Amino acid sequence: MRVTTERAGRRMKVFTERHGHNMSEILEVKNLSVSFDTPQGGIQAVRNVSFTLHSGETLAVVGESGCGKSALCKAVMKLLPASARLESGSIRVCGMDITGCGEREMHKLRGKLFSMVFQDPMTSLNPAMSVGAQIAEAVKVHEPKITRRALHDRVAELMRLVEIDRAEERMNLYPHHFSGGMRQRCVMAAALAGRPAVLFADEPTTALDVTIQAQILRLFRNIQRDLGMATVFVTHDLSVAAEAADRVAVMYAGKIVEIGTVEEIFHDPRHPYTWGLLQALPDFARGRDALYAIPGMPPTLLNLPKGDAFACRNPYALAIDYEEEPPLFCISDTHYAATWLLDERAPRITPPIVLNSDSSAAEAVKRGKEAGACMAGAADEAVLLDVQHLTHVFSINRRTVCKAVDDVSFQIKKGEIFGLIGESGSGKSTVARCIMNLYRPNGGIAPAEERQLHGETMPEKSKPRNAARILYKGIDTCDPVQFRKHKKMLRSTRQIIFQDSGSSLNQRMKVWDIITEPLRIQHVVPPRGSLRAEAQFQMHYVGLDEAYLNRYPSELSGGQRQRVAIARALSMEPELLVADEPVASLDVSIQAQIVNLFRHLQQEHGFSFLFIAHDLAMVKFLCDRVGVMYQGKLVEVGEAEKLFTDPQHPYTKALLSAMPKAGNRLAGPVRIQR
Amino acid sequence: MVIQTKGTARNTICIFGKKLFIFIASVLILSTAVFYISRLAPGDPLVSYYGDRAEKMSPEQREWAEEKLGLNETIAVQYARWLENALHGDFGISYKYKTPVVSVIGERVGNTLLLGGIGFLLIFCLALLLGIMCACREGRLFDSVVCKIGTISSCIPEFWFSLLLILLFSVNLKWLPGSGAYTAGQSGGWEDRARHLILPLTVVVLGHLWYYAYMIRNSILAEMRADYVLLAKAKGLTKRRVLYRHCLRNVMPSYLSIMAVSVPHILGGTYIIETVFSYPGLGTLTYESARYHDYNLLMLLCLLTGMVVILCNLVAQALGERGMNIR
Amino acid sequence: MENKFEIVGIRPLPQGEQEWQKKRRRSRNIQKSSVGAFLILAVIALGCLLCDWFVTRDPGYLDLQNCSMPPNRDFLFGTDTLGRDIFAMIWYGGRISLLIGMAATIISTFLAVVFGALSGCAPAWLDAVMMRLAEILLSMPALPAAILLQAVLGEANALSISFVLGITGWMSIAKVVRSEVRRIRECEYVIASRSMGGGFFHVLWKHLTPNFVSSIMFMVVMNVRSAIVAESTLSFMGIGLPVETVTWGSMLSLSEDAMLANAWWIIQIPGAFLVVTLLCFTNLGNCLRRRMNRGQSNL
Repeated sequence: MRVTTERAGRRMKVFTERHGHNMSEILEVKNLSVSFDTPQGGIQAVRNVSFTLHSGETLAVVGESGCGKSALCKAVMKLLPASARLESGSIRVCGMDITGCGEREMHKLRGKLFSMVFQDPMTSLNPAMSVGAQIAEAVKVHEPKITRRALHDRVAELMRLVEIDRAEERMNLYPHHFSGGMRQRCVMAAALAGRPAVLFADEPTTALDVTIQAQILRLFRNIQRDLGMATVFVTHDLSVAAEAADRVAVMYAGKIVEIGTVEEIFHDPRHPYTWGLLQALPDFARGRDALYAIPGMPPTLLNLPKGDAFACRNPYALAIDYEEEPPLFCISDTHYAATWLLDERAPRITPPIVLNSDSSAAEAVKRGKEAGACMAGAADEAVLLDVQHLTHVFSINRRTVCKAVDDVSFQIKKGEIFGLIGESGSGKSTVARCIMNLYRPNGGIAPAEERQLHGETMPEKSKPRNAARILYKGIDTCDPVQFRKHKKMLRSTRQIIFQDSGSSLNQRMKVWDIITEPLRIQHVVPPRGSLRAEAQFQMHYVGLDEAYLNRYPSELSGGQRQRVAIARALSMEPELLVADEPVASLDVSIQAQIVNLFRHLQQEHGFSFLFIAHDLAMVKFLCDRVGVMYQGKLVEVGEAEKLFTDPQHPYTKALLSAMPKAGNRLAGPVRIQR
Repeated sequence: MVIQTKGTARNTICIFGKKLFIFIASVLILSTAVFYISRLAPGDPLVSYYGDRAEKMSPEQREWAEEKLGLNETIAVQYARWLENALHGDFGISYKYKTPVVSVIGERVGNTLLLGGIGFLLIFCLALLLGIMCACREGRLFDSVVCKIGTISSCIPEFWFSLLLILLFSVNLKWLPGSGAYTAGQSGGWEDRARHLILPLTVVVLGHLWYYAYMIRNSILAEMRADYVLLAKAKGLTKRRVLYRHCLRNVMPSYLSIMAVSVPHILGGTYIIETVFSYPGLGTLTYESARYHDYNLLMLLCLLTGMVVILCNLVAQALGERGMNIR
Repeated sequence: MENKFEIVGIRPLPQGEQEWQKKRRRSRNIQKSSVGAFLILAVIALGCLLCDWFVTRDPGYLDLQNCSMPPNRDFLFGTDTLGRDIFAMIWYGGRISLLIGMAATIISTFLAVVFGALSGCAPAWLDAVMMRLAEILLSMPALPAAILLQAVLGEANALSISFVLGITGWMSIAKVVRSEVRRIRECEYVIASRSMGGGFFHVLWKHLTPNFVSSIMFMVVMNVRSAIVAESTLSFMGIGLPVETVTWGSMLSLSEDAMLANAWWIIQIPGAFLVVTLLCFTNLGNCLRRRMNRGQSNL
């Protein structure tokens, strides 16, 4: 709450400043349209976008992937590839019209007038050049006559600005010496070298872990305050936007559908798409049994339908939405939205947003339900999977080894959803693969070593005390003898789902072939007659159209592919389903669809579910119990509610506090009005 | 710091020693293989030494001749003897030329090095130039024309291209000589040598140029698609500067290592061209020695070629490792 | 006007792209030049196969009265210095040239797949050794190596020359096979398949083979091309097939005499056929590669 008032105060200052001098309007984009030429035809990436940006202000551009957010930024900086065309519109920076500028003029403006930070810090630095040199290069462009000494000092100063300690030493290191967060800081240092008036940040925190994301977001705010520059912050995550921005622009299919201050967007959203996005936040799902999911998929920008592009996913679509594109309606000085609902002829609609103001009641409902679930579940409290002292070591080369998983023990009960969270590289996936017998747990204390440790040979102890054991239904799957004995059962009742990365499905198999692969491997007689019928049934079950039966995975979208992967896993009627970051690469609205599907299927089938994710909100929503992993160790396990409200381990606390919360900005009553 | 440099120095020596060991081992294996293969092959080595007389020899004469040339013992013994002599610098005599192998090769090696060396340098520089020019003009007329010419020229066998050039320039137009390294009787004049080199050199260069230029072009383009180029441009760097300071710099190590591997390829290409142009180099010599079972000559030629191959491979590997280390 | 502002909710959209449009788009993606290349190649291949039907002269007959005749009505492409009809030789020679190209490619592809798959599945140290070996063999100048081997094998025939070209041309395909096998082995669908209990042969047949076949197809086509080049070079140098066995390469081995007679047709006509065939193969190969690349970037 305090933060909000502080921000409001700042904005007031900005507001007065703006009216004081006219020059504070740093960036003005008017009716910008950009299209790409592809072999399939023209893609309209940006359509008729207008906005202004004042100095010291942060504008967040929010939308799903492929809605033209990055293209908009790159279009302003003229960094688009040659296949892109600026069709219409004008761009003015600091009162200068740069619409018609060619490459020759632009490279003089870039860096000084505006600069950009990119999504993936792993690829946006040149791997073969020291970071210091890359920052120095950016300084030198703008001050060609700078002396060596001064250049050195300036680089160190920039690195300190982005909070890199021991700058003088680290200057000579290469990017591969740095972690993702540090690299992003270096990228920022290079981007800030020319003291730009506008900084574009294209999903700067998406590739980073939650705790690092919080640090970088804070850094952005600090730097912006210190340097007084304007920032355009592109993100797909509304809660990040709520933390980082003063104003928010929501983009859909290349258009800005709603733009306004953070308060206006979060408290008084007018566009159905914004409603949908807000509802899809897990914060809003508190006390419900399903996340809200926007139906359908974002359109390709290749051939857009007539009328409003969002109409086909909009439950409040008006007849006119299918015929004519809505204009941008003005709600207040700063708040605009493009929907026919704001037309005076349209019916009045109450936004369907339930906030946590009345969450106590909902919470009570949920508790009751959970209690009921526990009662029901009490009958089979039986432990399905028991992981004991799991340790896995990767040998990098002959001398160095890397302990990916270190003495992890937990249990999964029958019919339970167990969440495993942690940063990338904390060993979550390795745990999953050990459970699925894809890796053999090789660590623990090897018998010989233990003997050495104790100084004596211990022939009576056949098994070392801390031997890794994974008991599944009482069978030690790590033991090759037992594993071989129950191979068929183990392989048909445990299934795994991966992150959708395009490599989770074989590109050369048709969808029905993929879904029925496990049946064919295990020579199971298809319960519904033929394999094809079985595939049809499973597809129906996971909400896929039958028409996709004969398609190849490359013709499907990310969400659809993930549904196919789920159908494949379900076709064996598993008792344990392991999902390794199943929603990490999907869009927000699609994530919600998939998580809902998981929940629904779990209730129906009653399988136990190990859900691995780095997104805390999803885990909180979906899971009964949660384990937190940090650097290969399981630092905390507990009931989801308890763990999130009362974390014990310092790392869990850090993780929770780093989580961007849209809810913070949303506290307070919602004005439901028209 | 000092300790560190010492450590790296010792490391370097260690690596160098290892490479040297690999080199010697490979050469030994190679020599054994070539020795066995050449002796097991059908064909009468006496023919190459005695010519037609070999066929009219009585059995006693044959035996005597074989003993004289050391061909009557088992291959293992022959190999051991050859190896012993070779270590003393004696590689035997050529059966065909009846002079020490080393001097036969020594006469010719200069010619091949001249042709191959100049060809290699030209290919190296021109490919870099063309590749950069194409990458800068991606998709435009110049680029597509160069790529098209490259595709077409890669389909023209070198020997046929040589024939066409000879037919055109020396038979019909009579501008340039079509065979030999110099006009008979007057060896030495630079101008004469150069005139004889033009046609073979053209074939060597044009035959390989496009492949490497295309490769440079593609790897520069791949670099230009990388994210760091966008950052560099966002910083305000000019296109030219990004191209040279970033893209080209990152492409160079892999280019150098590929060029190192392709030294034997370009030399191998000259072998064929030499035979077409009757250019007195190692190529014609290899061809003859293979045809006439001139074992000692063939051995040394194979060893030389093999040594170049292995050496280039080691250099390329070292270059590649350095490139990897930077990354 | 009033009902325009009525809530109608989600309506199915008319399908943006019909199935036939998609098909047409796909067919448009196949380039015209590759269709042309395929047609030309088909004509040449059919001509070589069916030459018994339309070629009236015996390609081996030495018509000593008509040596080095330029192209005329009797001899469409002229005669060579031994008086053989070039028109007949082109078709009969093409038969053997193409045959050797195919046979050599089959041998080298077989070797490459076996070697590459073994290396891809082998433990790291063996893989390193095998790849090192392939690299060294790869950097051997291919043609001199083939010359050497052929010289060792003695008098050449179509089979032995295919064998020689096969065992000197497998390395680059083997490298691709190996890296593909390594890549696919790490793919999640293979891991998923293994965790479902898919055995080695299931993974090999269902996942590995279909995926690497498409990526080596291009190299295989290019291999046909280089085998034909190598054969013609060897024959031209007189190490390959003897002059009596007619191939495009051995026809060119008479070029020295032709040069003296300034008989351009002896050099240029077989050469032109050779180059056109090679161009067609290259074009097809490039088309395959483009298709493969597109498939991957679609992910």
